[in-house]
Amino acid sequence: MRRALARFRSLFRQQAAERELAREIASHLALLQERFERQGMTPAEAQLAARRAYGGVEQAKELHREARSFVWIEHLAKDLRHGWRSLLRTPGFTAVAVIALALGIGANTAIFSVVNAVLLRPLPYKDADRLVTVLHRGTGPVSTANYLDWRDQSHSFEGMGGADYWGANLSSNDPADSNPAEHILGLKVTQNLLPLLGVQPLLGRLFLPGEDLVGSEHEAILSYRLWQRRFNGDRNVLGKTITLNGDGYTVIGVMPSTFQFAPFWATHTEIWVPNAFGNTIHDRGGNHLRVFARLKPGVTVKQAQADMATITARLEKQYPGSNRGVMARPLKLNVVGEIRTPLLMLLGAVAFVLLIACANVGHMLLARTSDRQKEIAVRIALGSSRARVIAQFLTESLLLAAMGATAGLLLAFWGVNALVAISPTYIPRVDTVGIDGWVLLFLLAVTVVTAVVFGLAPAIHATRENLSGALKEGGRGDSDSLRRNRLRSFLVASEFALAFVLLIGAGLMIRSFFALQAVDPGFHPHNVLSMVVSVAGTKEEPAARRAVFYRELLQRVRSVPGVISAGAINHLPLAGDLWDRNFLIEGRPKPRPGESPDAVYRLIMPGYFETMRLPLLRGRMFTDRDDEHAPRVVIINERAAREYWPGENPLGKRIAIDSDRSGKPEWLTIVGIAANAKQEDWAVPASPEVYLAALQNPAFLGETSGSIGPHMTYITLVVRGSGNPADLATALKQTVWSFDKKLPISDVLTMDRVVADATARPRFEMFLFGIFAAIALALAVVGIYGVMSYSVSRRTREIGIRISLGAGRAEVMRMIIGQGMKQAMAGAGAGIVSALLLSQLMVKMLYGVRPSDPVTFGSVIAALGVAALVASCVPAHRATRIEPANALRNE
Amino acid sequence: MASEDSDKIVVLQGTLDLIVLRTLETMGPQHAYAIATRLEQISDKLLRLNQGTLYPALARLEQQGRIKGTWGKTESNREAKFYSITKAGQKALAEETRRWRRMSGLVEKLLTEGA
Repeated sequence: MRRALARFRSLFRQQAAERELAREIASHLALLQERFERQGMTPAEAQLAARRAYGGVEQAKELHREARSFVWIEHLAKDLRHGWRSLLRTPGFTAVAVIALALGIGANTAIFSVVNAVLLRPLPYKDADRLVTVLHRGTGPVSTANYLDWRDQSHSFEGMGGADYWGANLSSNDPADSNPAEHILGLKVTQNLLPLLGVQPLLGRLFLPGEDLVGSEHEAILSYRLWQRRFNGDRNVLGKTITLNGDGYTVIGVMPSTFQFAPFWATHTEIWVPNAFGNTIHDRGGNHLRVFARLKPGVTVKQAQADMATITARLEKQYPGSNRGVMARPLKLNVVGEIRTPLLMLLGAVAFVLLIACANVGHMLLARTSDRQKEIAVRIALGSSRARVIAQFLTESLLLAAMGATAGLLLAFWGVNALVAISPTYIPRVDTVGIDGWVLLFLLAVTVVTAVVFGLAPAIHATRENLSGALKEGGRGDSDSLRRNRLRSFLVASEFALAFVLLIGAGLMIRSFFALQAVDPGFHPHNVLSMVVSVAGTKEEPAARRAVFYRELLQRVRSVPGVISAGAINHLPLAGDLWDRNFLIEGRPKPRPGESPDAVYRLIMPGYFETMRLPLLRGRMFTDRDDEHAPRVVIINERAAREYWPGENPLGKRIAIDSDRSGKPEWLTIVGIAANAKQEDWAVPASPEVYLAALQNPAFLGETSGSIGPHMTYITLVVRGSGNPADLATALKQTVWSFDKKLPISDVLTMDRVVADATARPRFEMFLFGIFAAIALALAVVGIYGVMSYSVSRRTREIGIRISLGAGRAEVMRMIIGQGMKQAMAGAGAGIVSALLLSQLMVKMLYGVRPSDPVTFGSVIAALGVAALVASCVPAHRATRIEPANALRNE
Repeated sequence: MASEDSDKIVVLQGTLDLIVLRTLETMGPQHAYAIATRLEQISDKLLRLNQGTLYPALARLEQQGRIKGTWGKTESNREAKFYSITKAGQKALAEETRRWRRMSGLVEKLLTEGA
């Protein structure tokens, strides 16, 4: 032990040891010289004699060094040199092995770097694992009054804060400022929320207690991006007043560039302002607040949830229907919950690719060691221990793996960039994906494990051979070792099994993707352009102007050349926000709390249905006459009709969503039934939905100021053009700005793009799965081809004899192909079983296809069969060309 | 690597360690020069080795914990590294001596009796 320690120390203290050695040798030489001088030599002669007596100084040093160093390092160096030379001797083998390993290791490194950044790395807040969200069913917003009660009554949290979504028009009062007015995403946060996260501002300060009270809330904290973009990173921005929705806000701070909040919703927030609740503190109905909390040290999420359950049960008794399904759960779960399964599946897929690569390289090595039997036998006979020989083979494997890893790292660099570039925006934190220390550590571990996995079995097999047999046979027996053959068959079969599972995964993703593509969104997205126009803070905002403005805007838009029709909606399906409202049905008993009918709530302007080509099934559409002077009307979707008026005709029936000032319901008459259209999630069937006429809605027209008021200051234009709708964008913007240069326009999107984004996630997953499955298939085909070629070359003599004994070429071909197919089919058999088990894990990622989909299984079996056939055909054909005379002479 | 003068004995692989240990046991702590000189004296210069070749043996023995080096002063007040034998070294010396005796006895027997 002490010896090992001394050696270890000496390894690190080479320089010190070198100095000491030099000192010792100098003293030795001096003593020798002294002696020679005593014997009567001149100092010069004595010095020379001393040198002679000592011998070569450098040689002695070198020997000393060797004795000092580790023996195993010496061996390792020797093995590395030997391995390197032997790999260079067979460049073909080396290249194929390195490519296979590079693909496997590269894919693993790339996917791991995503997993690392998205799933493993903690969120960028202080002690982020103590941050939780307290939301309705884990993700839904809650009401202000509930939040205040929870905050005051809970015992599990150090602090609890809330945030409201806030769209802000940022305009400048400075005439010299050339920036156009701009609609930016903001959050209204309670004063304690930002301090709760434990992140210090880059400049200035966070909100102070009392600054979220009505009257003192006009302060703003900028994101780093906004600060750079709008204020050129000017440090004097602190204390300046900026105009948001027409009101002045004093800039008090700038957050660092790494800061992002909230992490799972409103992720592109660029500005934070205090949330002055005002009169909403008694509101238990409007669910819009997202609540975040920090657990006290030592308190678990489970304990916090129990605490919350007690409080919400009490509140539920007091205010029925207001406190159901409230859940405290880790903030991180909200961030990565959705993406976790697909990412882990992908990690599993690339692990399979690597295993296939290992099996591939494994049987190539096996073939190689067979050819080196003689070398091994000689080495063992000369006294190398079996362990030493195995170590040498493993060193060679490690060298191969390291070369593969180097190439794989390059692949991963490229792959990670490509991955981030094509990844849909729904992946949280994808912008932080990169190759860091953890990824490199992972790469190192994978490399070593890989080397052992593909190198160990061949090494053990090679050294197990009968020594004298190998020497006698001249290292090239005509009957291969049975055991080795079995190992080789096993490797090929497992390659096929692994490839089978991957192909099933990819096949299911592809089927599922096409099923999604075939989904009818309910409207025709082609040739439609959408854009959000906001009036907040402009001269169009006041109630008196708004109704006129919206009407005139649509008129002017319709007269733009190339425009076929135009309409408007508050929130665009699939892209915009989704509101859900409870309503009453006239003539039915008052529903019990939590059981009242509800529907997706949209406000539209005339022309919306025509522009989206959303069919109306019965009744009529809205017209310009459905305004504030006309009787209030509503259009419902087919699902709502079926759900709430089964077997009845809903036309002419009345519902109420809002109440007037005296609390009486405001009745709306159903005048039409529209087809179901996609709402928020592409893969989810439509829920009941109601469309209200925007021009007769007081909140939309700015006549009431409730909590919903600020959310009614923008509208999404939808315009159908005769050609490419993107070409209309410039003309449409000019039309909007012909009213007022200060009107902010945002989210200019074609409906095709909106639909594509809605299916981006399955497309992305299908794409990656497809790539990995293709690599797997290619490796498996190369594998079976390699093994069959090798087998044919080893059996040259046997085949020659068969042919000379009269076996037909067809028979030989059948024999070789049969052998290849047998291995492939054994693999496919194991693959079917594993795929049936593993595909169950994909259920959540699939749409419209069962995990045991017979079409997918059938196609994959056929595809692999063809691949195996092709891969064994070439060597089989070669076998039929064997000339019996040559084959026998060669031996 | 044939030696020019055949009278001189080439040190057998592995025996140098034994000789160094024995020298240190009988003479107490010595520096490398003294050990080399002592070897020359005892062998009547028959055992001729480049004094530098002692160094790998010393390094090896030190690493094995059989000897221990400390810096000190010679009689001529020159600084040098003095090696002394350790407990482990003494044990190893006894063991190696026994093995050497058996080995040389066997060789001797073979040579005299002419197998």
